[in-house]
Order: sequence, then structure tokens, then C-alpha cells
Amino acid sequence: MNCDSVSKLIPLYYYGELTPEEEDRVEVHLHECAGCAREMDRQRAAAAAFDRRRLEIPPRLLEDCRADLMAAVEGGAPLLNRPEKGPWTLFLEAMHATFGGAIRMRQPVGAVALVAIGFFAARLTSSIPSFQSSSGSNAPLTEDVFSTVRSVQPESSGHVQIAFDETRRRVVSGSMDDENIRRLLLTAAHEDNTAVRVESVDLLKAQSGSLEVRDALLNALAHDSNPGVRLKALEGLKPLAGDPEVRKTLAQVLLSDDNPMVRMQAVDLLVAHRDDSMVGILQNAVQKEDNSAVRLKCEKALKELNASIGIF
Amino acid sequence: MAQNAGGAVGARLSPQVDSLIRAAQRGDQDAFECLVRAYDQSVLRLAMNLLRSPEDARDVYQEAFLRVYRNLHTFRFDCSFHTWLYRIVTNICLDQLRKRKVRKEEAAVVDTAEGPIDRLESFEEDAAESDPERTMLNRQLKQKIEDALGDLTPRERMVFELRHYQGLRLRMIGEMLGTTEEAAKNCLFRATQKMRNVLGDFL
Repeated sequence: MNCDSVSKLIPLYYYGELTPEEEDRVEVHLHECAGCAREMDRQRAAAAAFDRRRLEIPPRLLEDCRADLMAAVEGGAPLLNRPEKGPWTLFLEAMHATFGGAIRMRQPVGAVALVAIGFFAARLTSSIPSFQSSSGSNAPLTEDVFSTVRSVQPESSGHVQIAFDETRRRVVSGSMDDENIRRLLLTAAHEDNTAVRVESVDLLKAQSGSLEVRDALLNALAHDSNPGVRLKALEGLKPLAGDPEVRKTLAQVLLSDDNPMVRMQAVDLLVAHRDDSMVGILQNAVQKEDNSAVRLKCEKALKELNASIGIF
Repeated sequence: MAQNAGGAVGARLSPQVDSLIRAAQRGDQDAFECLVRAYDQSVLRLAMNLLRSPEDARDVYQEAFLRVYRNLHTFRFDCSFHTWLYRIVTNICLDQLRKRKVRKEEAAVVDTAEGPIDRLESFEEDAAESDPERTMLNRQLKQKIEDALGDLTPRERMVFELRHYQGLRLRMIGEMLGTTEEAAKNCLFRATQKMRNVLGDFL
């Protein structure tokens, strides 16, 4: 084996990707050839340098990703490519999901099933009133009704009492100028589902001129648990960086938000419109800040304001 | 040397993973969540290491596992779930890397009002290094490595990432990327050569 062929095998040898025979031949050559042995050392040194580049997952990122994903799944991420199910299959599945527990409990379920058939039949035959948007926008497209049975109580008369919650899903569409759409988005900005909040705040941020939208963005910035939503809210508040209410929240965020990217953007917005109250806020932030990039940014802003960095 | 993190998880949990997959295919959301948790750390680490941006890694995570959720019923157990999952993840990451090549975007740098800032700095621990010369050398080396990685094609970068950082065997990497073990070997060789050339005097 000559030096040229060995040098081609060195990375593979290092990663243990050679056959045992190839490995033997490389080892014999490395033992005899100082030049190739140095090459091998360089390979090891390079690998050690690459190891130092390994990134740790930022704290909370994994938890946030999991929360986003489960929110998207629970919020109804569509199952693509599923075979179409007939109404009978859907009915059996609904029966199973709703009354599976009762069946496992070996209760007499004949009456329950009959009542359920009546109930579902009524559902299927009842006409669903269409949603009319008060503004006359082309709102309604489809709607579904979801029922969750909370309790099933056999009565002595042979009847069954069923308590259920009914959730109605409606789909509306309209432009951002539509008051109804905007109201829905303002509500959506408080939803449990993170993906819905991110989308809503993202859409609302273009409308930050309205007082209602500004307040929703401020609320999201100050209280949303998800940094992605808070960053979107910050983007939306950019044109309002001079507004005293916005500045109050920005100062609060700079001193208390746990995400460095959010704090970083808050400094950006604060320094975009300078006022006297900023010096104290920035000095406080320098004292409290444990992230070097954010701290440097605050210090730089203070220098530009000709203010001292420390509090005396 | 990097450990076989993802592969080890897949191998050790195989019987449990199979039953989780079957339950998730029947629509059991809890089983799906457990399945995600068995693999998601290594997926996030791969995306994070490749794309050097928490935001992009988060997007890859979300897109990959939503694709898994939507297409799990098509999984037929004819390869390991790990391989199937990584085919999805590597495709999404390769798309991102290719888009970046086109846009010539520097992933780790974010523009702010005060010029570009390395967004990863805000997530790394403060350098506890007391020796300024050493800090400088470390910074230069870090920059050299970033330059070297920037020189790799998306596919070379992916093979290197999967072999060096995720510790996967080249045969498996070939299977994930829809290529042969031999092609993966060539890719790894080219990647390490290019990187060693760029690192030059630092080694």
C-alpha cells in the first residue's frame, strides 16, 4: 500500500469504516511511514476541533418544539393521504370512541346504543344553519359539530340521560379589513394552541395602527409563554416604538423576559426612539443581564447616550 | 469519537418502538407523543448543528414530525423507523441548506439595527476563558471551521454531520440519503479533505 492510497483511507480509518483487512494494511503502513502517521495525527486534531463546534440545544427549545408540535397535532393537523372513510365506518368509530368505556365496563348498553343511534340520526338529518357574517363578507364555507359525552345515566324508567358538550367548528374567510375577521384574530391571539397564536399575532402585526391590535400585541409580548409569539408581537410593535405604553412594556420585557432574543429585540426597539427614562432602564438591564450579547448591546446604547454604564 | 446516539436509541427501543408505531397508526395520540420523544432530541440536535439557528431548527422539527404524523400510516416496517424518520428529516434539512446556498445566507448571523450579530452567541455560555490570546485563537479556529463547513456541498455537509456528530454508519447514511455506501464514503472523504485543507495551520 503506498502513501497515496493510504491518505485516501485515513478519514475512513478514523471513522472505523474500513474492512478489517483494509484496516490492517493501513496500520502496517502508518507504523512504517512517518509522513502518513502525521496525516493521521492531523485527522485526529481536525476531529477534535470539530467536536468543539458541537452545539448544545438551547434550554427550553426542545420543550417549546414539543409544545408547538402537540398543539399543531391537537389543533387538528390534517392526516393527509388517509383512505376516505365511509359514513358507516365513521359512525362505528364515533360509537367506539364515545361508548368504548361503557362497553368495557360490561354495563347493559343496548338502550344506550339505541339512544345513540337516535341521537346521531337526528344529528345527520338536522339542517345546520349557515353562518352569516354581519358585514356581509363571503364568510361561511363549512362547519362541523363535535360532541363530547360527559356522562351516561340509566334511569329507572328505562330511559337514558346523556350529558354532552357540543363544539361547532366553522370556517370563515375574509380580508384583514373585515372587522369580523379581525375580531376572530384578536380572540385567536389568546388561544391555547401555540401555532394558532403565532399565526394570529403574525397577521395582526400588520394592523398595529388600531388601538385594539396594539393592546393585543402588548399583551402577547408581556404574557405569552411562547418566545416565537413574543418575537412576532415585537415585530408588530416596531412602528409604535415611540408610544409610551409600548415603551413601558418594552422596559418590562427587557428586565424580565427569560429569552435573550426577545430581550435583544426589546433593546433595539427602545433605542430606536430615545428618551430620558431609557438611561435608568438600560443601566438596570446591564446590572441584571446575564447574557453577554444583550449586556453589550445595552452598554453600547448607554455609551451612545453619553450615559454611564453603572449605577452610582 | 461521536457516539451512535440516534441509532442506539432506535436499536434499544425497537420492540417498544414497533408497538408505539402500531398504536400511533391506530390514532393513539399518546403513543405518537412517546414516539416523538424517543427520537426528537437527536432530530433537533441534527437540525441545530446543521443550520446553526434555533429558529430554523424549530421549523425543521415541526415540519418533520408533522410529516411523520400525517404519513405514519404509510410506514410498512420494511426499514427501521429511525431510517424512515431520518429520510424525512435529512430531506427537509437538505432543502434548507440548498436554499441558503442560493441566497448565500449566513445562518448564524442576524441583522439588527446595530449591524450583524452572531445569534448563537446569545445561546452559548459566556466564554469563561481568562487567557485573551487563547480566546482569540479559539475564535479564529471557530471561524475557520465555519468557513470550512461553508465550502461543503449540502450533501457533503449532511454526510459529515451524520457521521461525525450523530455517529451513524455510512451504510445507514447511504440508505437514508437514497444512495450507496460507496457514494457516502466518497462524500465523507471529500468533506474531510476540504475541511482539513481550510483548517491548514491550525492542525
